[in-house]
Amino acid sequence: MPSNRLAPIRTLLSRDRETVAEEWASDVLRAWERNYPNMISQDETRHQMGRLLAEIATLFADHDGDTPPKIPADSPLPGLAGEISASRAKLGFRPTDTAHFVIALKNVLTRHLVRMVEGSQLDLVVCLAAVDDVLDRLALMTFDAYVEARERVIAQQSLSLVELSSPVVRLWDQVILLPLVGIIDTVRARQFTERLLEAISRYEALVTIIDVTGVPVFDTGVAKHIMKAIEAAQLLGTRIVMTGLSPEGAQTLTKLNVGFGEVTSRASLRAGVAEALRMIGRRIVAIGG
Amino acid sequence: MKIPILRLGRVLLTSIQVDLSDADAMQFQGDLVTKISEIEAMGVAIDITSLEVVDSYMARVINDTATMARLLGAEVVVCGIQPYVAMTLVEMGRGLIGADCVFDLEQGLARLNERIRLRGDARLDDGE
Repeated sequence: MPSNRLAPIRTLLSRDRETVAEEWASDVLRAWERNYPNMISQDETRHQMGRLLAEIATLFADHDGDTPPKIPADSPLPGLAGEISASRAKLGFRPTDTAHFVIALKNVLTRHLVRMVEGSQLDLVVCLAAVDDVLDRLALMTFDAYVEARERVIAQQSLSLVELSSPVVRLWDQVILLPLVGIIDTVRARQFTERLLEAISRYEALVTIIDVTGVPVFDTGVAKHIMKAIEAAQLLGTRIVMTGLSPEGAQTLTKLNVGFGEVTSRASLRAGVAEALRMIGRRIVAIGG
Repeated sequence: MKIPILRLGRVLLTSIQVDLSDADAMQFQGDLVTKISEIEAMGVAIDITSLEVVDSYMARVINDTATMARLLGAEVVVCGIQPYVAMTLVEMGRGLIGADCVFDLEQGLARLNERIRLRGDARLDDGE
């Protein structure tokens, strides 16, 4: 004889689905609206939650016995849950708030079940255990999806940072400028060195200006990377002008005993440009002057 | 004690006249590089005419300060090293490498101006 201890859940999810969905949505939306005002579309969220709830209902409807239903591999549930939490991750929600939407459903279902199940307490416990089991697994899935989405965002960002943040600019006929911005690590150092050398040989640059105004931290690592780039550039036959070093940077470099011996250094990019132009025998004059 | 740093156009003048404690020396170094960066100084003259004794630490401080100043885009001269001090510095195997040394402040300024004239940014202040 098929047991029907889970029947209350089935009833709840089919007969009262509207009520459950409404309570759940208002619960979740209230919390999200408070923490992230005007960032979420209410209709879209309700729609997503409705689909998720329908799938959970199907899961329980297709299931016999008292044990909690397993989520089959071809179920759309993980996909749906993942979709919701991934879209939250992209909006910058905290993990807690993202997980909250599954937990909130558990609360709603528990509240209803406690009221509905009138038989033995064992029935209630079995029902709650089943709900717990399914929703806990869903919560784990949403968390996985959240982390995955976040990591994708981070990977994308660091990629675009590497791609975009070290352009080599042609300043004048044989003068090129490498503005360095942000943290310089091994990957970025190799990348800007490659670009720099390529640009030097393409433009046959006589002078290369390296502007370090945008480099926040100067330590041995950074100095070593920049020094290597400078040495390689000098091997190609270009002269180097370094600009925009901060007083702290100068002190650190000197204390670390990093010798920028062959390098001309200027306080500002402006002075550096003037110096570079002088090196190629030009200077900027006022019109008609 | 604080070493005064005087500004003369785009050149900074400073004179060390007494033996500095380690902390004073660091303070002096920090003050000077901050000032150089602040006004984008083109030249720095460090006068040590009144120093009778320069130990290896002091030599290092002066040398480091000169290196820092150059990294910040300033020309550096050290003025007025006394004969006895020069001998000890050579004995220690530690010259004031890199920085030009001149007889007195007057020559120091002349040397600085000469070197500044050769720089690309020398005439930027004339509005060019």
